[in-house]
Amino acid sequence: MKSFALIAVIVTGWLLLSAVSDFPDWGDTESPANDYRLSQHYITETFPETSVPNMVTAVLADYRGYDTMFETVVIFVAGIAIMSILRRKPLDHLKDKGKETRTYKKDPDLIIDTTCRLMIPIIQLFALYVVAHGHHSPGGGFQGGVIFGASFILLALSRDLQAAQRWVPEKRVLNLAGVGILIYSGFGFACMLLGSNFLDYEILHKIMPATPIEARSHSMLGVEIGVAFTCTAIMFSIYSNLASNGDMKETL
Amino acid sequence: MIDQSPAIILLAPFLLAILLALLGIKREWLCFPLVITGLAISVAASVITLMRVIDEGTIQYFFGGWEPPFGINLRVDGLNALVALAVSTVALLTAIYSKRAVPAETSDKVSQYYTLYLLSVTGLLGIVLTGDAFNLYVLIEISALTSYALIGMGSKRATLAAYKYLIMGTIGASFYLLGVGYLYIKTGSLNMYDIQEQIVANNLHGSPTILVAFILIMVGVWIKMAFFPLHAWLPNSYTFGPSTTSALLGPLVTKVMIYVMIRMILTVFSPEFAFDQLDWSNIVVWMSVIAILAASISALAQTSLQKMLAFLIIAEVGYMVGGVWLADEMGMVGSIYHIIADAFMTLCVFLFAGIIFTKTGRRDLSAMEGLFTKMPLTMVGFLVGAFSLIGIPPTAGFFSKWYLIQGGISSGHYEYVAALLISSLINAVLFFRIIEIAYFGAKPAEGHGHHHEEEHNGGPTEASFSMLFPLLITAALLLGIGLYNQEVVAIITDFVSQFNIGAIIL
Repeated sequence: MKSFALIAVIVTGWLLLSAVSDFPDWGDTESPANDYRLSQHYITETFPETSVPNMVTAVLADYRGYDTMFETVVIFVAGIAIMSILRRKPLDHLKDKGKETRTYKKDPDLIIDTTCRLMIPIIQLFALYVVAHGHHSPGGGFQGGVIFGASFILLALSRDLQAAQRWVPEKRVLNLAGVGILIYSGFGFACMLLGSNFLDYEILHKIMPATPIEARSHSMLGVEIGVAFTCTAIMFSIYSNLASNGDMKETL
Repeated sequence: MIDQSPAIILLAPFLLAILLALLGIKREWLCFPLVITGLAISVAASVITLMRVIDEGTIQYFFGGWEPPFGINLRVDGLNALVALAVSTVALLTAIYSKRAVPAETSDKVSQYYTLYLLSVTGLLGIVLTGDAFNLYVLIEISALTSYALIGMGSKRATLAAYKYLIMGTIGASFYLLGVGYLYIKTGSLNMYDIQEQIVANNLHGSPTILVAFILIMVGVWIKMAFFPLHAWLPNSYTFGPSTTSALLGPLVTKVMIYVMIRMILTVFSPEFAFDQLDWSNIVVWMSVIAILAASISALAQTSLQKMLAFLIIAEVGYMVGGVWLADEMGMVGSIYHIIADAFMTLCVFLFAGIIFTKTGRRDLSAMEGLFTKMPLTMVGFLVGAFSLIGIPPTAGFFSKWYLIQGGISSGHYEYVAALLISSLINAVLFFRIIEIAYFGAKPAEGHGHHHEEEHNGGPTEASFSMLFPLLITAALLLGIGLYNQEVVAIITDFVSQFNIGAIIL
């Protein structure tokens, strides 16, 4: 079986390499990916069409915004999938309002605890900056959301899962993730209700104090915030499910 | 609103999935109505879209108002309008079936299950409708991730099966993505129609990169559709997952992937490249012959009903891959018609298997002893599905095999025709064995008539309405698609005839 796998790997590797000589050279300005009207259009027309200086964000959130919406859904699905397979205890306590008994308590280490207290607000602030500044510099909803989620993970690591869950209980995590996608698709559906195509932000100038071109830019910020919500929630949800073996009590 | 219909097909289940995720956790009773609403809207939009395609020809829908290749579009023609209608209808029927099955099998996670269910359907519909090669990959990811979870929520063994599927499925999707990357290197575009235009305009048909891209994409979708030597993930996944999952994924995932293969061959690479220039059709048809025979024979060896059906799916995949690669117009028409027919016949038998499992709690064939007297209506539904898989007129399965065999004869691939006939015979053996067990298999009760009466009253009774209704509707649809096959085939022929398949060979 192992030798069979080796043959498969060699054949695949040979297949991938066999076309390399046909590729355009590194940095070739004449290569199809650079020269074709698609990339030319993005380079020259992005700012006039969307008033967003960062083309990557414009391609991501506007030209191919439909893809990005489903990329966010992929993250959402990953979270739900891990929860639905790993989460062992019935989710009854989500329905009852009764408090869960906290059986586990760990004495926080002074140095670690103090450092994290200092770090976490800064991490979160930086996350917000990354989300909000996606138009102008590298960044955006995915990156910002992941950083924000990491701040909760740091909290859970430095104390215990219960401490982090006080801020983001499981129910809130699920709602946050759903709301994120609802924000993103909400922009799309709003466009549909106003009589345009799904995610055609231009029409939103009717309900926004902006010109049609600016409406695209503002809506992109809106959908980035939606993405950030989902990423934050799912990052933490995946961590807490994996680290606690699905019972949400004790972590590593 | 009418011009939004192609988008509504997939956005309706998507929106309701999100609402369900937000509202369903606290209110379990809300889940089922939301699922049915979403899928019913989707079916209605599919019907409207199909009507529009028949009237106006190809429909385009631009997301974000950007025309391709700058933005992403949905491009609906005769082929994907039909497949989308089949997908949404199968999903709706399975959802009706799930009313009792889901709370019974995944009791504490109903809302998560239904969220994943709707998103899975969204993914499959998105794959079918999109006109963008990369967007197709994103939606493959969604449908695949949701499938892993939907399978993994089943019994203990389901988790391992889902893990295997995860590995294989990820490899398949990666191959597809690599293929799209290779295409992008040479064409600079991601839109399917634009890629083809670029390939023709720059005369790239001889380029090794395009050839490697073609091989990567084909191998990727073959893994995803469980084409014979790459099928190892399928049987256990569809056997041990929850019965609703099997009834949703069994009919849909493999067929949608065959649609992707057809779309790639016809629209992205062009049939001249795939069939005439490469001249691989002999090899692939022989591979499909081996696939059909090996899967049919493996099906004979199974004692579990679900597993037997899973191997039948693999055999059916062989039919369709072979039919496409016959490089013959009739074979292509037959394969596309078979996608539709097979979706419903697989649904029919998987719904039956689900009902039997819910009623008896067993997966083996002997669970079906004496069912003709105890569950007559269920058995009627099953018989139609079984006859269709065997290929008895006037069910849809007969006509699809008829077209496939015609294609095999006109392109001179008699080995394929022989494999189809042998496989039909094996199907006949398989299903008549079940019919025999169900009809004659009731153990004669010992003692007098009085005891006999008691024995009869015990055991499973007729399935509940929510399970029986979709089964019988599916059976009726199978007969309907069979009787009205000319109308369906007219739409498909209309689509296929623009490609001149096999014109050079003849």
